[in-house]
Parts: sequence; C-alpha cells; structure tokens
Amino acid sequence: MTTASQLSPARPAAKGSAPVDPLYRQIRDLVYKVSGIYKAEEKLYLLADGCTRRMNLLQARSLRDYWDRLTAAPYRDVEMRELLNEITIGETCLFRSQPQLDALRKVILPELLAERTRQITKRLRIWSAGCSTGEEPYTLAMNMLEENEKLLKGWTVEILATDLNDRSVETAKAGIYGGYALRSTIDYFKRKYFSAVDDKKLEVRPEVKKLITFSRLNLQDDSKMLFMKGMDLIFCCNVLIYFDATSKSKVINHFFSNLNFGGYFFLGTSESLMNLNDKFHLVHFPGAISYWKPSLSSGKL
Amino acid sequence: MTNSHDSMIRERVQQIETMPAIPAVFLPLLKLLGNSDEVDVDEVARLVSYDGSIAAQCLRMAGSPLFGLAQPPKSIKAAVISLGLRRVETILLTCCLGQALPAGKWLLDPSVFWRHSLGCALVCQKLSEKLGASDHEKAYTAGLLHDIGFIVSCVAFPKDFGRALEDACNDGIPLHEAEFATMGFTHCETGFALSQKWTLASDLSDVIAHHHAVEQSANTPPLVALVHLGDLLCRMRDLGYGYYERQKVDLVCDPAWEILLREYHDLRDVDLVRFTFELDDAVEEIHALVASVFGTAPSISRN
Repeated sequence: MTTASQLSPARPAAKGSAPVDPLYRQIRDLVYKVSGIYKAEEKLYLLADGCTRRMNLLQARSLRDYWDRLTAAPYRDVEMRELLNEITIGETCLFRSQPQLDALRKVILPELLAERTRQITKRLRIWSAGCSTGEEPYTLAMNMLEENEKLLKGWTVEILATDLNDRSVETAKAGIYGGYALRSTIDYFKRKYFSAVDDKKLEVRPEVKKLITFSRLNLQDDSKMLFMKGMDLIFCCNVLIYFDATSKSKVINHFFSNLNFGGYFFLGTSESLMNLNDKFHLVHFPGAISYWKPSLSSGKL
Repeated sequence: MTNSHDSMIRERVQQIETMPAIPAVFLPLLKLLGNSDEVDVDEVARLVSYDGSIAAQCLRMAGSPLFGLAQPPKSIKAAVISLGLRRVETILLTCCLGQALPAGKWLLDPSVFWRHSLGCALVCQKLSEKLGASDHEKAYTAGLLHDIGFIVSCVAFPKDFGRALEDACNDGIPLHEAEFATMGFTHCETGFALSQKWTLASDLSDVIAHHHAVEQSANTPPLVALVHLGDLLCRMRDLGYGYYERQKVDLVCDPAWEILLREYHDLRDVDLVRFTFELDDAVEEIHALVASVFGTAPSISRN
C-alpha cells in the first residue's frame, strides 16, 4: 500500500529554501483561525511533521486529501483536535519561554510591586491554569525564589497550579523530571533547585514545592471559576486551543474577573486570544506578548 | 530642546563636510526616489555602476526571501524587470545605509543599526499594505531612514552620545530618553538637521524629526505615526538596539494608533498578534541577511 509519507508533499525544511507546498500555509491559517496557534515560517516543518503523522495514521492519499478531512463535516472537529495534539506535543518543558520570564522579572514584577507598595498584606498570587505535569509552575516558583532577597523581599508568593487531569496533577506533585523536560534548564538552576533521583532524573527541592498548591480544576466549571479571585498573574499555555469559541470566550471572561486590577494574563508563546475579549489590553514586552487588566490608576479601564 | 541646542546642532552638522562612510550614490538615489516619475532604468543602473560593492550587495539582497525573488538576479536591470524600479531603488538605498557605519569605528554596532533600520522599513511597508495606504515604498523609505540622526550623533557628538548609549544599556531605557537626559536633545534633532542639509523630502524630514513625538508632527502625521509604531514593534521583537528595554508597550493606546485609525479605518481589523507573529518570520530572514552582509549576526545583550 502506498502511504502518505511516500507521496509526501514538499515539506518545509527546518532551515532551507525548498519551496513549500502552499497547502501547508492554508493549514497553518486554518489552525490559527480555529485555535489561535500560529506556526511561524521557521516552524512550519513541525506542522508538516504533524500532518504527515496524521496522514499516515489515516492513510490519506495526499495533502489535499488530508485538507479535505480537516475541513469537511462530520470529522473535521475531531481531526483538528488530533492535529493540535500532534503540533503541541513535546512543547512542555521547564523554562520554555525565557522572554516571558524576562518580562515577568524585569518589567512586570517591579511595576506590580511599586503599585502595591501601600498594601498591608504584601502577597503575590500566581495561577498556572492547565499546568499539565508541573513544568510551568515550578519554573515560575524558581524564578520567584531568585527574587526572594531582592525585589520580593518581605513579600509572600503563592502559586496555584491546576489541571483537569488527575494523573497530570499527581505527576506534577512528584516534581521528577528527565532530560527532555530539563532541556532548557541551565546548570545554575539544576544545581540550586533540584536533587538527583538517579543518573537520569532530577527532583524539584522541597523549598520550591512549598510555594505551589496543586489541585484538579475544570476551567469550564463556572461555579469553581467564580472562586478563583485575587490573582496577580495567570498563565494558561496551550490549553484554550482545544476549546470552541463560545467556551473559550467564557473562560477568558472568568480569567479577566479573576485577575486583580493591574494583573497580567499570559498565553503560550505562539498563541493568540484572537480578539475574543476586548477588556484585556494587548501589551508587548521584548520578545513576549501578554494581556493586561489595566490598573485603576492607569486611566485605561 | 533649547534654541542654543538647535543652533549648535546646525553648526556641527554644517561642519560635517561629507558623511565619511555614506556611499556617493546615496544622495542621488534619494533625489531619484523623490522624483520617481522622471527616472529611467538606465539612469539608476549607471549610478549604481560607480560602486561595484553596492551593486553586488543589492543583487544579493534582491535574492533574499524578504524581497520576493527565489534567486539573486544577474544584473541591476534584471532586478528592475523582476521587482520594479522603485523596489530596486529602495533596496539600493538599504545597501547604502548598510555601508554608512563601518565596523570598529563607531559607537553603534553597524550591524545592529542596519538591522533595526531594515526591520523598521519592512514593518512599515507591511503595515502600509495592510492599511491599504497609497505608497508602500514611501513607508519603507521612511522606516529605513527614521534613525539616520544616530549617524550624525556618532560623528558630531561622540562623547555625549557614547555616554547616552551606555546609560540606555545599563538602565534598560529607550535610547532617545537616555540621549535627552544626557545631552538635552536626541537623534531626532540631529537627524532633522541632516535632512535639511540634504534637502530631503519634507515628509521624510518630518518622520526623522518626530517619530518619538508623533503629536508634534504638523505635516504628515499618518506617515510619522506609522514609523513610530513600526519602530516600537521592532524594538519589542528582537530588532532593537541590542539591549533589553525594560518597558511595556501598549500599541493600541499609543497616540500614534489613534492618528492612524483616523486615516485608515482598516486598522481596526488588523490582528495585531498575528501581525507580530508574521513579523517574527521576517526577523529570522533579517538576521540571516544581516549575517550575510556583516559576517556575523549581532548578539543581544540582556541586562
């Protein structure tokens, strides 16, 4: 039998000038329209690899055939979800986006702390919504600990990490990671915040774990979402891509009201809210994008 | 800026007989761009033939994915046939600017300056296309030349400008703020004085003078606003001046956005996040092009 890989269309190279099958760009645009995930030109090969894996499984005859499956009822929603799984798989690791962390430590923290300097309770609340196996909240916790003796002196940091999947939450609580999850973690952080489990795995140290409360939460559970108030920062990376427009809009509205004035909402590095909420202000930092709930003093509400 | 600053800048700029490194073809090309109706291809090819390195670089640039050809054209004439006269003129201008700051002699890393200018030119052109503006090549040229005052500041005020650059890097503040704090004026004023000396078109002079204070532009606010936003976006997407600017940019709340919105209603429909992601695609290409012209890609210092 002829497989899709044998008939594989012109695949974009990781770095190269081979012409790309224009259908990949069409699929890229469709993925963006449905999920808000944008695959940059240099990462188009990842989208192509995801398509090829799906085409092989489905025994699709050509990229055009696969395009039809992505766009024709009744299976298009299911297939889009499968493709999204393919192209976001393996994106989770500690220290995934350094520009986001730079923005947090160099711009946002000084701004938030300056604004709240007159508060009696010096407390900062961060929520990692859809934390999967814990890489994001631990990364945040380590970065906050780095500021403990500087910017955050005298402040208490609480990190809430939630996920829909019980097993993910349990894995997250254990805090044990191998080489792939640690591929972006520099030795400085490995030495300071991890201890060796064996020659391949490291475990997050108790002082980091202490900062985080893990729990199971369904973001579409309105009654639970109403109780998540008082957040200063919310991170929700590559989670909303699986929601339809109505549910996405509802969850984003919850996030907006869960944030304190002056708080920030972060998505994944190649993810967009696609104008589903006009109360958030889109703001740029060097190399990073965030959504800001204007502070009362900003005059931008 | 005070009147004494103004006259001092004029005096220093007048004293600069020639910008030492600017290729001879630069000013005639700028003039040609201002009168594009009367230009013929042979005239441009003749001008460029005086400078072999500019011609070779232009052909290499025309073959970059940024400018739309799959392979470098064989001659300037062939480039004009494939890309059109005005496109080739702007590419030539870009090459000239790239040679304006030779390595090792200037306070600003020349590859960083050129990368920012080229990036801003491309962003302005793309934004101009999205908005359905009438002259995308003008937007490109305005983006390319907006910071030309830095060249003057390097030549005429090396000590003070060097201190401003150091302060900007150390404190993570915008370079024009550090300039103002150190010298009482910025590259906008020095660039404007140069644009007067060169008798540049008034809209380009306006962009050079007011791209950090859009509301002060009396003549061409939409073009100035376009360049202001393009400049900000470049500085936020790895096309800045090589250091970390500790700032938050809210483009939609910027006065420049309002000015553009009054002129171009299509701005309301621009997906700014997607535009940013698309810019990131171009950033890769710009870095590659800069590396091919200057040998190595500049590194970003993070403070």
